[in-house]
Amino acid sequence: MIRLENIQRRYVSDEVETTALADIDLDVAAGEFVAIMGPSGCGKSTLLNTLGTVDRPTAGRYLFGDRDLVALNEAELARFRAMTLGFVFQSFNLIDELTIAENVELGLIYRKDAGGDRKGRVAAAMDRVGISHRARHYPHQLSGGQQQRAAIARAIVGKPKLILADEPTGNLDSENGQQVMDILTSLNADGATIIMVTHSPSHADIARRRIDMLDGRIVASLARAI
Amino acid sequence: MNRFAFLTLYRSLTRHRLYAALNIGGLAVGIAVFLVLGLYVRFETSYETWLPHHDQVYIVQTVVNMPDSPVNGAYPNTMGGLLEEMKADFPGLTGTRINGVGATVLRGGIGTAEDLAWVDAQFFEVMDLPMVQGDGARALADPSNVLIDANMARKYFGSTDAIGQTLTLNIGAGTAPYRVAGIFAPLPRNTDLKFTMLTRIPNGAPKGNEDWWYHWSSTSVNTYLRFPNPAAAKAFAARMPAFVVRHGATDLGADADKMMQLTLLPLTDLHLTPAGRDMASMRQTIITLGVVGALTMLIAIVNYVNLATARAGLRAREVAMRKVLGASRSMLVRQFTGEAILTTALAALVALALAELGLPLVNAAAGLALSIPYATVVPALLVLSIVVGIGAGLYPAVLLSRFPAAAVLASARSPGGGRTGARLREMLVVFQFALATAFITGTLVLVAQTRHLRQADLGFARDGLIVVKSMAGLSEGQQGTMREAIASLPIIRAVGIADSAAGGFGNNNDNNIEIPGRPGYGPSLREIVVGRGFFATYGARVIAGRVFDNQHGADDSYGTKSKDNRAIVINRTAVGVLGFRSAQEAVGKTLGKGHPRTIIGVVDDMRFFSPHVPMEATYYTYWSHDVGAPVLTARYAGRMDAAMDAVRDTWRKIAPEVPFDAAPANQELAKLFEDDDHAANLFTIGSVLAVLIGCIGLWGLASFNTSRRVKEIGIRKALGASSRDVVKLLVGQFLRPVLIANVIAWPLAWVAMRQWLAGFSDRIALSPLYFVAATLLALAIAVLTVIAQSLRAARATPAWALHHE
Repeated sequence: MIRLENIQRRYVSDEVETTALADIDLDVAAGEFVAIMGPSGCGKSTLLNTLGTVDRPTAGRYLFGDRDLVALNEAELARFRAMTLGFVFQSFNLIDELTIAENVELGLIYRKDAGGDRKGRVAAAMDRVGISHRARHYPHQLSGGQQQRAAIARAIVGKPKLILADEPTGNLDSENGQQVMDILTSLNADGATIIMVTHSPSHADIARRRIDMLDGRIVASLARAI
Repeated sequence: MNRFAFLTLYRSLTRHRLYAALNIGGLAVGIAVFLVLGLYVRFETSYETWLPHHDQVYIVQTVVNMPDSPVNGAYPNTMGGLLEEMKADFPGLTGTRINGVGATVLRGGIGTAEDLAWVDAQFFEVMDLPMVQGDGARALADPSNVLIDANMARKYFGSTDAIGQTLTLNIGAGTAPYRVAGIFAPLPRNTDLKFTMLTRIPNGAPKGNEDWWYHWSSTSVNTYLRFPNPAAAKAFAARMPAFVVRHGATDLGADADKMMQLTLLPLTDLHLTPAGRDMASMRQTIITLGVVGALTMLIAIVNYVNLATARAGLRAREVAMRKVLGASRSMLVRQFTGEAILTTALAALVALALAELGLPLVNAAAGLALSIPYATVVPALLVLSIVVGIGAGLYPAVLLSRFPAAAVLASARSPGGGRTGARLREMLVVFQFALATAFITGTLVLVAQTRHLRQADLGFARDGLIVVKSMAGLSEGQQGTMREAIASLPIIRAVGIADSAAGGFGNNNDNNIEIPGRPGYGPSLREIVVGRGFFATYGARVIAGRVFDNQHGADDSYGTKSKDNRAIVINRTAVGVLGFRSAQEAVGKTLGKGHPRTIIGVVDDMRFFSPHVPMEATYYTYWSHDVGAPVLTARYAGRMDAAMDAVRDTWRKIAPEVPFDAAPANQELAKLFEDDDHAANLFTIGSVLAVLIGCIGLWGLASFNTSRRVKEIGIRKALGASSRDVVKLLVGQFLRPVLIANVIAWPLAWVAMRQWLAGFSDRIALSPLYFVAATLLALAIAVLTVIAQSLRAARATPAWALHHE
């Protein structure tokens, strides 16, 4: 489903040029659950952002199905994200001024095909992650685990083909972290493709494939025996 | 405030230069507008306050209250001989008359017109003018003395050292030498007194004034009285009705005190009190402009509060650290209030510079000569800085000092004032834009009305006319000669003489015309006496019948008695007032029992007078020669200055000893609404700046909100929002308060403008279009203000935005 060819990402500041990604080649098949690991600054998040088209590679090709995403303009990328992707962030990134239900609904309003049953789909997504009882609350009234589950509900409400999770358990205690991993596993079991950045080896072990990065390169790609 | 507090303020200002510029600049413009309009209000309310013991001086008002009379109202003039009759009844009364008769100074056969006033010997006891040379009171003891102001002394004698010199003056009747016995300081600008020379008023009626000098209901001079205290003035006023009955019964009838009252108006109130029929209130204009100044400053203060509270969150960490280090809440409140006072003082300093730079512009636009009295303004600005600083700084200070230190330090996020903060900011934006939109509406209406005054159909073509006002100075024989000479100039197309002209000069006569079969005196109509060529010169539109014609000998009323039947032409307004259904019906009818008048024609209304005065029902009579108080109007073809030169040359050949006084009619008419023009200009300047300050506030707030929402924008974009969605979101957020503001602005502007327009007899309709246009304009301004930042925010890459804290 996903093919990265020779992806490079360089940042140029006044004096220094930093290479965040160097010659990344990566294939991800539909239905995979991939964990990306590596030390801080190795390029994990940059890779995830590139996959999520919120950051553009300096060079290389990014094929999604048979579309080359590097060739798309901003508006086309925005539509692509709205229709295809779901994001889960380490710091949740819920909008403070919106209630949980409204935050979840945000995952639908930029989709042109969202149609009439928005409320139903929002309710279903919240139900799936177990936060329906918090629908009318604001983010700051929820615990970290609840906020992250709300963020997952927002990511899945549009039934995306690909879920990108950037350290989804990084700000959570082990019990809440485990709950989030359980949700991701069950989503994967239902057919969603998941790519997740994590620092936790135990959570990485839950994924079917583990990619190790160092200094902007992929140094190992290990498939877990099932 | 300690040293570090100063340092953080200085660094915070220099680090956030744009913010500092917006904050200080907006406040400075607001203070500058307040300052300039404040100076204007101070000037307009300071009339005659320069006179020593001005609070003891009163002007006698004649209040006319006759049945059906259009002249009813209070006038600051009295009968010529009133003071003499008052002194006979009230010995010991201190008072003076001022009769601005004017004089011609004759030198080498050439006459120059000067503003000379006749005053009583007691003048200096009432108005103690500052003297440059000589003793004013002593000088007035001798009727052959003249007092002149320092400018006149320099003009005629080269220096103010002119005591003992002689001036040859023609004051109405006859030429005589006068000895200069005193030099007074030129009158300041804030006065309605208008003279540069003074001589003693003659005893008894002056020559040529005998008919009406002691005639009650005439008004020809200003009478001023001085009382030691308000109680004495009040007691005197209470004795006026009996006095009017005692002296006025012969002229006014048994119920004289009902027809006419004499009242006392404090001298300092004179300038802002409308006279007689004037519908416009100068006082209201002054109040309006004062309010505009105050509101503009208020908008600027609101900006400050808005920007300061919006940014309060950014300083939360500093506050938390200070608290951890032992600062108490009150210390923090003091620090931030102190910062606000310092910032305001800085803004006040900039405002002073702006006002100094802007004053020449304002003076030119409003016909003023304002200057900044630093001795008053600097201390006032200091007080203002403290008051505004506390007013604007207290809320942000309290808000900042309230942040809980532990929570702020523990979290990566900064508090933004919360939902209440956001709501307050939105309310403040609503408030600002409500005022701004009301100002825009006001400006549109004002501009439309002044344009209307300039272009309205006056019943005649105002361009191409010259009005020669100095005709009255000619002898009876010269009038005809002058008329023929000017008429024969090649550039002149037509010439007409009348006792009125565009701009309103000459006589002011109203007569009641009795209508047969109706009880009472009948309605009161203005009478205008016209000579040959009057209607043709103005191009009056004849609606029915005909105008005067030498072919009809009976048209000529010259030399007829008042009880003889006279031919009259009436105007359109008179048709209704006299009770006719149509102009055609009026023609041929004879009115007035004891003084029969036969209507031979009806012309369209011609507006010669102020647009603040209702159009009067008027009748015209025809004198074939020697119209009293004549004004000549000439219609020319070609260039105005060429025509003026030709007329002036002709004048100088025939009557060099009479000063030539003429002006284009459109210029004379423009003078009638000069004050409105000036007020409109001031209002427009104030409004535009108020809107500008509002925009600065909106811009600052938009920039703050946008930067605070960078992350949210990133999230939305990650979720698939396009740049357009984001721009719509950000701009929409500001349109809501702007639209609510309009709902508030409409009724405000409607009430204010209806009130203002009511002061004009000739006015535009208050169309909803002005309101819609103002709303659209306000919306456009708001969108333009916030769109650039919204676009920039919307175009940022989401990955950057998501990492933005």
